[in-house]
Amino acid sequence: MPGFLLNRFSQSIVLLVIVSIIGFTVLNFMPGGPLAQFGLDPGMTQKDIERLAEQLGLNRPLWIQYFDWAWRLVQGDWGHSFRDGTPVLAVIGRHLFATLLLMGTSTALAIAIGSWIGIRGATHRYSLFDYCATIGAMVALSVPTFWFGLVGIYIFTLKLGWVPAGNMYTIGDGSVPDYLHHLILPSLVLSLVHVAVWSRYMRTATLDALSQDFVKTARAKGLSERRILLKHVVGNALLPMITLAGVQLPSILTGALVTETIFTWPGMGRLFLDSLGYSDYPMVMGLLIFSAILVVLGNLVADILVALVDPRIRLS
Amino acid sequence: MTEAYFDSSYSRRNALRLMVAGAAGLAAPGLLGTPAFAQKAPAKPSGRIVVGLGQEPTVFNPLMVHIEVDDGVHFSVFDALFRIDPKGEIQPNLAVEVPNQKNGGISEDGLKWHLRLRDDVRWHDGKPFTAEDVKFTLELITNPDFRSWRTAGHALVRDITVISPTEISWRMEQVFAPYLSFLTETFIVPKHILEKEANPNNAAFNQAPVGTGAFKWGQRVAGDHLELVANSEYFGEGPHIEKLIFKYIPDLTVLYTQFKSGDVDLMGQPYITADHYEEAKALANRVVTLVPKASFESFYLNLERPQFRELAVREALYAAIDKESIIQGLYYGVPTPTETFMPRQAIYYNPNLPAHAYNLDRARQILDQAGWMPGRDGIRAKSGVRLSFASSTTSGDPLREQVQQFLQQTFSQLGVEMKISNLPAAVMWGEFWQQSQFDSVIVGSTYLIGADPDVTNRLHSRSIRTKGGRGSNNAQYSNLEVDALLDQGVRSFDPDARRTIYRRVQELVRRDLPFLPLYQINAVQGNKKGISGVAPNVNTRTESWNALAWSWAS
Amino acid sequence: MTDIAAHLPPIRWWHSRGVRRFMRHHLALLGFAMIALLVLACVLGPYALPYDSLHIDMRARFAPPLSGHHYFGTDPLGRDLAVRLLMAGRVSLLVGFSAMLLSTLIGTLVGVTAGYRGGWIGAALMRTVDGFLSFPSIFLVLALAATLRPSPMMITVIIAVTSWMEVARIVEAEVRSLREREFVQAARMVGLSGRHIMLREILPNATGPIIVAASLTVARAILLEAYISFLGYGIQPPLPSWGNLLNGAQQYLASAPWLAIIPGAAITIAVTSFNFIGDGLRDALDVRDDHI
Repeated sequence: MPGFLLNRFSQSIVLLVIVSIIGFTVLNFMPGGPLAQFGLDPGMTQKDIERLAEQLGLNRPLWIQYFDWAWRLVQGDWGHSFRDGTPVLAVIGRHLFATLLLMGTSTALAIAIGSWIGIRGATHRYSLFDYCATIGAMVALSVPTFWFGLVGIYIFTLKLGWVPAGNMYTIGDGSVPDYLHHLILPSLVLSLVHVAVWSRYMRTATLDALSQDFVKTARAKGLSERRILLKHVVGNALLPMITLAGVQLPSILTGALVTETIFTWPGMGRLFLDSLGYSDYPMVMGLLIFSAILVVLGNLVADILVALVDPRIRLS
Repeated sequence: MTEAYFDSSYSRRNALRLMVAGAAGLAAPGLLGTPAFAQKAPAKPSGRIVVGLGQEPTVFNPLMVHIEVDDGVHFSVFDALFRIDPKGEIQPNLAVEVPNQKNGGISEDGLKWHLRLRDDVRWHDGKPFTAEDVKFTLELITNPDFRSWRTAGHALVRDITVISPTEISWRMEQVFAPYLSFLTETFIVPKHILEKEANPNNAAFNQAPVGTGAFKWGQRVAGDHLELVANSEYFGEGPHIEKLIFKYIPDLTVLYTQFKSGDVDLMGQPYITADHYEEAKALANRVVTLVPKASFESFYLNLERPQFRELAVREALYAAIDKESIIQGLYYGVPTPTETFMPRQAIYYNPNLPAHAYNLDRARQILDQAGWMPGRDGIRAKSGVRLSFASSTTSGDPLREQVQQFLQQTFSQLGVEMKISNLPAAVMWGEFWQQSQFDSVIVGSTYLIGADPDVTNRLHSRSIRTKGGRGSNNAQYSNLEVDALLDQGVRSFDPDARRTIYRRVQELVRRDLPFLPLYQINAVQGNKKGISGVAPNVNTRTESWNALAWSWAS
Repeated sequence: MTDIAAHLPPIRWWHSRGVRRFMRHHLALLGFAMIALLVLACVLGPYALPYDSLHIDMRARFAPPLSGHHYFGTDPLGRDLAVRLLMAGRVSLLVGFSAMLLSTLIGTLVGVTAGYRGGWIGAALMRTVDGFLSFPSIFLVLALAATLRPSPMMITVIIAVTSWMEVARIVEAEVRSLREREFVQAARMVGLSGRHIMLREILPNATGPIIVAASLTVARAILLEAYISFLGYGIQPPLPSWGNLLNGAQQYLASAPWLAIIPGAAITIAVTSFNFIGDGLRDALDVRDDHI
């Protein structure tokens, strides 16, 4: 086990280094850069812009900038935002809750709805419900999330007036019902794609389990279908579910970025877009690394859990 | 309807008063800190006003590089030595009076400045404000390690001397009249807090500022909103409200929806979008007005491109722009057509510039006469130069993109080919803009700092970067007479003399057309009817410049 | 957004041959038919409609669908939405196809090299693949799009550069398993060069999975283009694309909802069709999707 851990850990580190190099190269590829936004400021002269470039260290060779940044990161210093001088990690911390809330809610929704559809589809195989679910899943995987969000706003906010058009809470309110009210539409929109994934997954897993010998035995023993489903099928499917959740992290993050833009959700996705707009390199790099770490950790934890439960995987 | 406010038959000042009154729904509040405005304020500030913003304020140290939207916070938390009122007149704020050559605050040769300061001002932490703070502020700005915003003007200051806690003087390296205006945007920061910081760029102060202003720092939920609370010890007028909240809503449609639903009390930058203007005007219990801004939109040309070198081409293109359709159609009648970079509200505005007329036939005639003849492909050309160019603007700006496509069609009827080549903002305003790598650009820009008419940075031939200059004359406009006038203008403190100078500058620029002026931008500003004291100020970049005067009608 | 499809766990269709399989092919056929129809409409349609996609008519702004000959209404400049939608389809489909070709090419090259060579070259290549996969591709796409001059060519390249990894993974796994098979061993013994073995012997045997992955990549590329253009970083006007038709539509959501709904529906139809095709192909080619 320690060997396995060490191996996976070192792989993760290599991965992060690669991610950071890709990110850094891409960012610095751009003409313009962080000072471009001041090109229109009436009072800032060329001298001011040159001075700022010097102060921000932008006129050093790229590889020095990279190693400087990376060395500080290793020491735990994520740098300061170009925009306001705040430590990057502090800014991420301030936006983390909103994103986790949105991601958590929609993942929970996706698992709940998806599992129900999947299990029902498997137990009623080839029924109308099953076909609709299968085709529905394919369509759901094909709808652009941002467009789905727009249509959602059009119907539920503009036409019906049921839910607010955006934001996480009303200023001065911020009670739990208020949060929930704001959470409904964005989390449903974000969960759409994942409902599709989970339903397809659960359907297969259930079918798989239903064909196993122990289920046949259970049936023979006269256990009710419901109990068999809950105990054997769901129980059996749990382990791979963990892996699936880990693998899905990047796509949930992507979805969150899209959803946050449409619903003006104060999370990391919008922070990323804003930072990109201001060419706030330390912020953008910080977010890239942070999300990569999140994804790597997600996969690592999933791997370890699976390895703990299933010794065969450890060996391979 | 803007014309009603600014019809030339009104005197400019009357017009302004009308506008201010119209926007506030009440008599305009008076000037800051002057006894004239010692009106009966409610004993205790009460209520809360939520200002909706499309960009997030993040820079709270007012001396650091920041963007427009941060200004609203700075004006509320800090004070400058002077403030500028809606009429463009400079009023004392932390200083007791505005220095000029008559009262001796500025020496006859314009080089020595001497200021007297208020003695009744305290920082939010209770420490008294003194001349030391002013000295510290001016020195911090030019500190080479400090990431300061503007150093122009400040870089000329020498020998700052604190004479007493309420008296300070300095010498200017050269005469620079606009400095007074610059000081209206230079907020004073506390020495006793910042001097302890090893690195002022990362100081804790920058995220929890302490000022002298009418509002104290409350709390901030990053990515969402920030809250300021009333400073009941404020030395001047106000504040009348207990809490001032800046709410960040990046999507303009959502921002407007929240204004409509009442979650947002007052619309801040970038205000109500033009397409919602008609609807917004009809909203119950809302005051929605067109408020002129100092920026103007132009079709900005790179004069070094062979296509644009000839004045005839620029004149023809200008005549081919159907401003009326653009303004009435695409912008719903919101902006006001203009012929110059100077806002109409400025005393330096030249009202006698020749008016633009849309006339395709005339445009054709001009080009024919100048020898630009249609080639085999239908595009005009002259001595091997095809009349074809690219138009750029920030990508993802639907309205500007519509303008481009509209112009593209009109120009093509003229035998002129315009290609659209838009760039992301971060690329657009970098080298591409600063090093004049563009053919033409559609841009909204502000030429004035505060209300000072100096435009050396934009129009002086010394400001052309590609020719070794240090400014942002990116059109590469060069006119010796304009140069001489601009040099003369910064050295004069006399408003009348300066008016003559800058009116002539506008005349020359209108004649030479280094850019084709489209319109002066009007903001569709809105607030709930119950709020009084809202006074638009074309001389500042923010609607929240006087939040201290805002109050809820009881 | 659809990359999740690629992370699907093994779905064992052999449990459900027969009816199940038939239906899949039915859907795949439907997908093919829809794509063929779309392509045909985009190629020929603009000639059949009485408007030019760039013709501005300020008097006909915001005409709702079915007003006169404007079957899908008009946009803020009074241009006919139907003809613009079809012209946009040309651009979006072309970008989708080209991005697919390019990313398949990159992915195959990397995959074959990594799988056949193995060793540290293989490891390094596959870690790079992991690196690209482990942050949300949208971050990378946006960072790239925000920094480069947005032309259709550039957008295609950006999409390809960020979506070749899955193909690489599939091909690498396939090649690694083929490498030890008899026919490859035989080829090696005969003394054929590495390149020859890779191109002639191994690649043809990996075609199935590559084709399946490619069809899913088209779907993904169309979605990505739409999203970048929606944010304003993608295809620039006046050239229409399905994504940039949506750019700005949010602003008119209340007053002219068709501007948002119609292009979005077009995207959904196209992407769904490609996903149907991919799924059908997976069955038809009997591709194990353990590592898709």
